[in-house]
Amino acid sequence: MATVLERVVAVTARVLRLDPSEIKPESTFTVDLGAESVQSIELVASFEEEFGIEMDEDAALSVESVGDAVTFITNLCGEQGVEI
Amino acid sequence: MTKRLKEYPLIDATEPNLVEEIFDYNLPPLIRFEGPITEVVDGRAVEFDPRTLKTRDIFITDTTFRDGQQARPPYTIEQMVKIYDLLSKLGGPRGVIRQTEFFLYTKNDRDTLDRCRELGHKYPECTGWIRAVKGDFRLVREAKVAESGILTSCSDYHVFQKLKFKSRKECMDSFCEVVDAAFEAGIRPRCHLEDVTRADIEGFVLPFIQRLARMSEQVPDNLTVKIRLCDTMGFGVSYPGAELPRSIPKLIYKINQECGVPSDRLEWHGHNDFHKVHVNGGTAWLYGCDAVNATLFGYGERTGNPPLEAAVMEYIALKGDLCGIQTEVITETADYMRSIGLPIPDNYPFVGKAFNTTSAGIHAGGLRQDERIYNIFDTTKLLNCPPRVALTDKTGADGVAHWVNEFFGLKNEERISKIKCHKVARWVADQYEQHGRMTSISDEELEKKVKELMPEYWKKYNKRAK
Repeated sequence: MATVLERVVAVTARVLRLDPSEIKPESTFTVDLGAESVQSIELVASFEEEFGIEMDEDAALSVESVGDAVTFITNLCGEQGVEI
Repeated sequence: MTKRLKEYPLIDATEPNLVEEIFDYNLPPLIRFEGPITEVVDGRAVEFDPRTLKTRDIFITDTTFRDGQQARPPYTIEQMVKIYDLLSKLGGPRGVIRQTEFFLYTKNDRDTLDRCRELGHKYPECTGWIRAVKGDFRLVREAKVAESGILTSCSDYHVFQKLKFKSRKECMDSFCEVVDAAFEAGIRPRCHLEDVTRADIEGFVLPFIQRLARMSEQVPDNLTVKIRLCDTMGFGVSYPGAELPRSIPKLIYKINQECGVPSDRLEWHGHNDFHKVHVNGGTAWLYGCDAVNATLFGYGERTGNPPLEAAVMEYIALKGDLCGIQTEVITETADYMRSIGLPIPDNYPFVGKAFNTTSAGIHAGGLRQDERIYNIFDTTKLLNCPPRVALTDKTGADGVAHWVNEFFGLKNEERISKIKCHKVARWVADQYEQHGRMTSISDEELEKKVKELMPEYWKKYNKRAK
């Protein structure tokens, strides 16, 4: 079964149309991966769909890097009782 | 020696100060004054206390049917009756819109006046407008109008170049004969001092006004002459210290305080040739004219007159109270005027389609958090017009979310987050990025896309859609 990191990378690659190998845990969504305003929203929506969770909009949009997203989603899954 | 500057230490706060004593969201922002204003007149400092505006009986008079109609094809009788009815509703029972003037020359003019009066409104009172010709008072008397404006042009451009008088005295005598004729007919004359801001104030205007004041002493109060100061070419300026004849403060001071014409018999009539029309009207109120003459949406000769709806907002801002004014009638009136072919630019204050519409994404984001950030006042309550977002390439997801929430009429915790609007936001972005679109996206297009891309919300809320 894929890890949270692998799933986050896969979603990010699909939404931002990137090769998964370009995406590292330390990559920031906006500066390194070039996510624009609408793409940031699409990323959050896609993470919600991928993991079956609800995210607080402001908190989710303040997450800067792929690694931070992994931590954020892992914690949220725990809080919302979602198995990962 | 260095100038000693005043220190302003930071007053730290953890709660916002929204300055609500001025920016009460339920009213247009209030205009408050700290103290008197000083103006130098003939080398002497004189004071005006604008705080008296709160208690003075200032009011608005309307000239939509006279000056307003000189700039467009004539209104039909039905249209004028409808507009008169709207003016009455807007001004409210206290008569903030106190009078409106009518031509009296044709059968249509007189029928219109009769039809308006048949509505039975106390305000606005119907007054007449005639040339400075003695015989015209027959028309005024037959129309049973108590007051009529008469043209008494006072700059030498008019006296000599247009009216071809041989001297100022001949001109003044001629005007005074007409005023006498008005008295004899039992009609209150309202002398329209055309081109006053280009006239010789001390050489002609003040002597004429003093002669009118002496004539008024011989007649009952209800016939005493009113003075309308006509800034015919929009030359008037509001700045303290400006010279006559352009200075509105000095002009009003001399007529009011030196010639003794009381404020309730003084009226300002402006034109917008230099974009000063609204502020000049407010200035006239401030320095001692009780009446400001205006037209709906500023429509009038050439560049127009003081917009009546702006004068209404200024009135509320100065009084700090709605005073019975029904502000939402402004929107109703604008809708009616559009329906009969009066163009109103999109960016026109209070009623233009874009007056409270933002298209910048960062502004839309602000609106979404607290509409007061980018809305001038509660436009939903006062103008029946909620703030809106026009969707363009600059709008972003914030704007899309704002549009969707306003469309469904969702408030507080019901409001849909921008995350849930991401498919519509993507569609909007693609219109510009992928398809090279150059125009904003219409409400109809958006509605269709919300239905298609947010079906669960559409199903839940479409019955509430606006």
